[in-house]
Amino acid sequence: MSLTIFLIIIVFMAGIQTAIPYLVKRTVIFGVTIPEQYLKDRTLSSYKRTYTILVSFISIIVLGLFVFWTLRKNPSEELIVMAGAIIQFGIIFFSMSLYFYFHGKTIVFKKKHNISDNVKHVQITDLSVRSQDEMLPWYVYLLPVLITVGLLGYTILKYDVLPEKIPTHWGPNGKPDAFTVKNPFSAVTLPLTLLVMQLMFMGINIGTKKSGIKLSAASTNASRIRQLTLRKYSSWFLFIVSVFLTMMLSFFHLTTIHPGLFIDKAMVAIPFTFLIIVLLGTLIFAVKVGRADKQTAEDPKSDITDIDEDSYWKGGLFYFNKNDPSIFVEKRFGVGWSINFANPMGYLIVVVPLLVILLLSFL
Amino acid sequence: MIIKIEPQSDIPIYTQLTNQIIEGIAKGEIQAGESLPSVRSFAADLGVNMHTVNKSYHQLEAKGIIKIIPKSGAVISSPTQSIDTVSQRMSGALRSIIAEALVSGLEREQIQELVSSIMNDLNKKE
Repeated sequence: MSLTIFLIIIVFMAGIQTAIPYLVKRTVIFGVTIPEQYLKDRTLSSYKRTYTILVSFISIIVLGLFVFWTLRKNPSEELIVMAGAIIQFGIIFFSMSLYFYFHGKTIVFKKKHNISDNVKHVQITDLSVRSQDEMLPWYVYLLPVLITVGLLGYTILKYDVLPEKIPTHWGPNGKPDAFTVKNPFSAVTLPLTLLVMQLMFMGINIGTKKSGIKLSAASTNASRIRQLTLRKYSSWFLFIVSVFLTMMLSFFHLTTIHPGLFIDKAMVAIPFTFLIIVLLGTLIFAVKVGRADKQTAEDPKSDITDIDEDSYWKGGLFYFNKNDPSIFVEKRFGVGWSINFANPMGYLIVVVPLLVILLLSFL
Repeated sequence: MIIKIEPQSDIPIYTQLTNQIIEGIAKGEIQAGESLPSVRSFAADLGVNMHTVNKSYHQLEAKGIIKIIPKSGAVISSPTQSIDTVSQRMSGALRSIIAEALVSGLEREQIQELVSSIMNDLNKKE
């Protein structure tokens, strides 16, 4: 069971890591802004290709060894879990090292070709673009919150029925395998944690909506489609994750209050279904957004180019722009969002809820 | 309507914004009664400081071109100032530009031609 789960996750993660150079915004290569006329350059294409080949090659070898070792030596569950986790981090570490290598090479390429010295740098926006934004409104996220508040109330009502040992962790078979002593606080830890997560999702949606819709002067249409697709699908994805997370944790919690409420098979199926839904959702999201700006053909404008934001992107990965009131901006290497580290609101939305969750789990 | 700014230009960004919004209204790309984006989202979309957008909005308000209504934002207003006041202000602004044009060697006809070609450009429907 552990092997299957880890295999699915690792194959999936390696697949996305491999495809990243082809899923990112087309004018940014390894975190460096490249103007339209250089995008098809052979050197740059070879950087992308080399990255993809190396990451997929290493991933396949490591996965092969992992499967071989598991089937041959039949190690304990714990060893499999440990090895699986190490492999995940290993692949991430390897692809990030490659990223930095090619980030450096792309910077050198840009310097060598004196890119962006003789053209006008402009930044544009469309006054009507806000009316085309299809993000979900924040109050939709209240739906799962209401369910959790109900669950919280029900738990307090049924406090006497709760068992003396409150589960704190569930194994891959859907059965609890770690417990804590019952007290008024431990009884509601799970619904409280869920609530904090839901509020964080809601905050992320609000923060994203308030953040800028960044259009590119050189390819206005492609960037508009990409930004609007990214915003729409990320708000839907976050909402779906919030709903299914609520369903899964509510099932677990209800089972604690009423043991045997659901048959064992359902308890195994629920976390597995959740995993599949999240992975499938990520895949659909990455493909939808990744393809969004690659379909419209636009004739490159030679006299203007986008303002070079490279100085705001530390290492091509971390966005620091004090002037920009955006809380989140589109990632440069990967599909999705990144925090504007110069805006304290971002920390408030993401870091505070995580700290609260950590606190809840340690108390 | 597309707004295009050049951060490296000598003209400050808020002036660039003001000029382009005025031109957009002159061209009919945005009309009286329509509203401009909120300061926050406009600044976020352009990646500029909120003060920059704020300054431009206040400039437009001082010229009587927009009204800043609390809670509903900046709305383009129809001309409210009397023709006299407007002509007086414009005459002052045009005077120095025309004087500069004459000093730089343009003839009366050339200046008139320039004015009518700019007028035509602003009247052109896209």
